[in-house]
Amino acid sequence: MKIDLTTTIKGRKFKNPVTVASGTFGTTDEYAGYVAPKNLGAIITKTITVKPRPGNPMPRICETNAGMLNAIGLQNKGLDDFLKNKIPYFKKFGVPLIVSIAGETVEEFSALAGTFHGLKDVVTALEVNLSCPNVEAGGVNGMKKQERILDAVKAVRDQTDMLVFAKISPELGDVLEIAGKVLGQGMDGISLINTLRGMAIDLRSRSSRLAKDFGGLSGPAIKPVALRYVYQVKKAYQVPVIASGGISNASDALEFLIAGADLLAVGTANFVEPQATLRILDGIQSFMKKEKISKLDSLRGSYRPAEERGEGCHR
Amino acid sequence: MMKKKLFDENVTILENKKVNGKYYKLTFRSEPLSAKVCPGKFLQIRINDGQDPYLRRPFSYYRVTGTRVEILYEVLGRGTRSLSQKKKGDGLRIMGPLGNGFTAALGKKKRVLVAGGVGVPPLVYLAEKNPTDYLLIGTKSRLEVLPKAELKKVKAKILYSTEDGSCGSKGLVTALLEKIMTAEDPRELFIQTCGPKRMMQAVIALARKYGIDGEASWDESMACGVGACLGCMVKTKEGLKRACADGPVFRFEDLDV
Repeated sequence: MKIDLTTTIKGRKFKNPVTVASGTFGTTDEYAGYVAPKNLGAIITKTITVKPRPGNPMPRICETNAGMLNAIGLQNKGLDDFLKNKIPYFKKFGVPLIVSIAGETVEEFSALAGTFHGLKDVVTALEVNLSCPNVEAGGVNGMKKQERILDAVKAVRDQTDMLVFAKISPELGDVLEIAGKVLGQGMDGISLINTLRGMAIDLRSRSSRLAKDFGGLSGPAIKPVALRYVYQVKKAYQVPVIASGGISNASDALEFLIAGADLLAVGTANFVEPQATLRILDGIQSFMKKEKISKLDSLRGSYRPAEERGEGCHR
Repeated sequence: MMKKKLFDENVTILENKKVNGKYYKLTFRSEPLSAKVCPGKFLQIRINDGQDPYLRRPFSYYRVTGTRVEILYEVLGRGTRSLSQKKKGDGLRIMGPLGNGFTAALGKKKRVLVAGGVGVPPLVYLAEKNPTDYLLIGTKSRLEVLPKAELKKVKAKILYSTEDGSCGSKGLVTALLEKIMTAEDPRELFIQTCGPKRMMQAVIALARKYGIDGEASWDESMACGVGACLGCMVKTKEGLKRACADGPVFRFEDLDV
């Protein structure tokens, strides 16, 4: 049986739904020895900011139950370096490239969107990072006010007609409400969730196990939360959704697909299993064969709410 | 253009036993994981399937003989505790060899190795593979000192210091190091160190004082081990570098620590 994993988002075709969450797949070829990029449905880049950012002090990461906390702090070499050194690398693969962008000001969001609009031959879509929990100015704290978020997405939309996803997190407030508002500003879809803010204390020092007090929790620990939001946003708005949050194996991925996710962004699992994306792809296909489903679109969004299940149903 | 092939292998444990009060030794065979290895490189071990622990744990190579790989480790937390309970025949998933190792050829310079804690295994390996003049090992007490059998292939002069004085000289390993620096011509020495950060900082400070060059294996909490997550950054004169992919071995002169 031929399995068709094609995923179409507003007319753009992705050969399969599996991609990588921003910041979890290196900056260029770190995983090239494990995963040929052409096998992925898309690549989402680490978040790019206008100016280079050194990130936070060490320790930046620590393991917690079924996941990890990170406070990397959007370390990146900035827009100029990305254009000069990273774009040529990605251009070679012909894989849809989704560039994650974050600004500290509306002007920066605007400048980033304008720049990538000019690179439409390489860049398929933008993901506007409105939710990095580790950045004071551009992340949750500075952007907490919904007006600033809306100004940022509006600034991006004004610059480009590219496919644009807003990446939001429950840290910003009511996800459904914010999703509705950013869609109202012309966003094509929603990417969710980002990490959830958490904390871990070292007993001996009675201080944080990270250099900062808090970090973003990722990994299997946050999957149920992510799944619920993907389902709710999809149900409420029927817009394209990039799902991320603890997707570690094929059954996780299938749950997100059934909940309606369009793209599946594998994140922390890449750190644990460098070939997690490929295994997930294999697992999705095996499941579809077993269930005799030839088109992914017939599985996507097939969730049956509790009230519709009826009696005597075994599924 | 593909980057060099990286390995992620399923291995079967041949042996996993306690060698003293502190260290366990894990042995397995693997062709890919034993090829192109040098002291200072490391492996990322997935200790259990599932999620406890979730992240891999990095371990430096202790010894490679043919396709046989040995790792010497301390039980320091949940991951290593679980690893210590593994039995012969159990499986592990291991990535490697990762990172950049120590410089092997030092020309006419005398190799001085300064090891402490988790830094002992890679430096014993380095001393077994390369002409070495001194191997200095600092521990808390004699309980952590490796059994003689583990050091029989090391031809260097081995000096111990223990904090409680129960083996070798009492005090810190840097006191031993300074004695060597004053007894020898500093211009002829090259130091390679691995161990707790405070020890390495003291070693680097002494080396700077005497104008001696060297290398340190600098280690930070790691998630991916391949340079992707940017969790394990090290301050260098050229800015932040990744311990896992740009290091873990750095020249003293490059480090800004």
